[in-house]
Amino acid sequence: MQNITDINQIKMAVLQKIAEHAYDGVLEDKKDEIPFEITDPIKPSFRCCVYREREILRQRVRLGMGRLPAGLHYKNRNNSQIVYVMKAACEGCPIDRFTVTNNCHNCLAQKCIKACKFGAITKTPHGAYIDKSKCRKCGQCVKACPYNAIVDIERPCIKSCPVEAVDMDDNDLAKIDESKCLNCGQCVQNCPFGAIGVVSMMTNVISSITRGRSVYAMIAPAIEGQFGNATVPALIAAIKDLGFKDCYEVALGADAVAWREAEELAEKILEGKKMTTSCCPAFYNMIQKHYPEVRDCVSTTVSPMVATARLIRSRDPEAEIVFIGPCIAKKNEVVSRYLSEINAAMTFDELGAMFAAKDIDPESYEAQAQEATRYGKGFARSGGVSAAVAKVFEEKGLDAPKVKACNGWAECKVALQMLKLGRLTEDIVEGMNCEGGCVNGPCKQTDLILSKKVFDKNVNVDKTEIVQNCMDNGFEDIEMHKH
Amino acid sequence: MDVYVCVGSSCHIKNTKGVIDKINARIKAEGLEDKVELKGAFCMGECSQQGVSVRINDVIYSVMEEEADKFFDEHILKA
Repeated sequence: MQNITDINQIKMAVLQKIAEHAYDGVLEDKKDEIPFEITDPIKPSFRCCVYREREILRQRVRLGMGRLPAGLHYKNRNNSQIVYVMKAACEGCPIDRFTVTNNCHNCLAQKCIKACKFGAITKTPHGAYIDKSKCRKCGQCVKACPYNAIVDIERPCIKSCPVEAVDMDDNDLAKIDESKCLNCGQCVQNCPFGAIGVVSMMTNVISSITRGRSVYAMIAPAIEGQFGNATVPALIAAIKDLGFKDCYEVALGADAVAWREAEELAEKILEGKKMTTSCCPAFYNMIQKHYPEVRDCVSTTVSPMVATARLIRSRDPEAEIVFIGPCIAKKNEVVSRYLSEINAAMTFDELGAMFAAKDIDPESYEAQAQEATRYGKGFARSGGVSAAVAKVFEEKGLDAPKVKACNGWAECKVALQMLKLGRLTEDIVEGMNCEGGCVNGPCKQTDLILSKKVFDKNVNVDKTEIVQNCMDNGFEDIEMHKH
Repeated sequence: MDVYVCVGSSCHIKNTKGVIDKINARIKAEGLEDKVELKGAFCMGECSQQGVSVRINDVIYSVMEEEADKFFDEHILKA
């Protein structure tokens, strides 16, 4: 029993228990015991009472085992939704967005009243008062108050969603509109109560491993710096000890994507057309669901994950392939589009849970061999994809393309809007839904500031020639187009 | 046509991969890549069935790997 103080501890404790029982082949028998294994049976440790705690943990166990939260209707779901609200865990945070706090001095200037164009604010003996029925949520009063006395408290889940897919149900609990949702995981990361969860395919992977199938892992370049000082070669060795037959770097596929995307872009520039990247699945979903006008601009090259999977498949047709990354939307990409090529997608926290279950410390491994170039690895950071594409232009002796690197979903939306209106001046839009790139993905294990240091140090030893590295790894014969 | 194959844990043990590989091979053999899309869906609540849950429109079928070819002929090819 551990002392639970934050959401990550709860999440990791549940995943670790699931992984342990799955490796032992007793998950089905033990799943109902997991809440009792993690928390005290009498004293609540993170919520109002033990019953609610156990109910929340029960829902987490369901998600961790690849099931939907209880109470959802299975039958008519036609999408591959990954992100779900666990209703039992949602606090139904306050919904009055603009509130006058007791910092209000009831001043004579009355800037808030003058700033409100809708007459929603009146003066009372106790300070300013906002009439909710008149408030149009423009936010002018917040800006106007000289004492910062008016606060804008929007629900963290709603505020964090790039596409207004999070709303409230009749009981004020969070609700996700699956037709709008990008499955990007921003809400998962930003809910202060950890009430939004993600379906896991970890138990599928463990059951394939324990049945002795040829399971291959492929790790996203963002893994650098996520597990302490463990380098990529050390992580590969550690992952093999989890029972995987082999482990590839997705950065290798990223090299190939940079190569093909550069060729595609060179053609588009000649035709006077624009292009967007497509390796970020949340950015891809954003275009498909919210900017359908620019669908034709999306690169026809597959993502580095798919490129790497095709390389593995070309070497072992029987391979069962698992992607491991910091990304929730990647699960959606696999399940909705590439199920015939990739068998599962996992996140770094699930990988961490498997390491913990098997008592493996990747930092204790020593290994050297590097597969990908530093540019392929750079796909994990904002600006990295376009830098790699520009590097291929340089290798081919072409003039550098004009690049719009969008760091985070807000910048992505601006660039897509410009592209839609035909006012974009750059040749290529690099879209990354997470600010900072994949290294700051929703399932990262280490804070960006810490992981950045390790990333910078480790990437220095890598190769630099992209096209040469693609040739060396046999990417010439791999089909790189989306179907 | 969208064909949803369950990727939940119960179906996985009944060999989701085998069913997907067989259906996918048939899609390619019949040249239906543009018409039939294979997608994943999480648990459809039919875990007690013998085979892997596969949903087409609103009907959920239970498909074993050995029957996947027959299933393809009856429910995908003819549709």
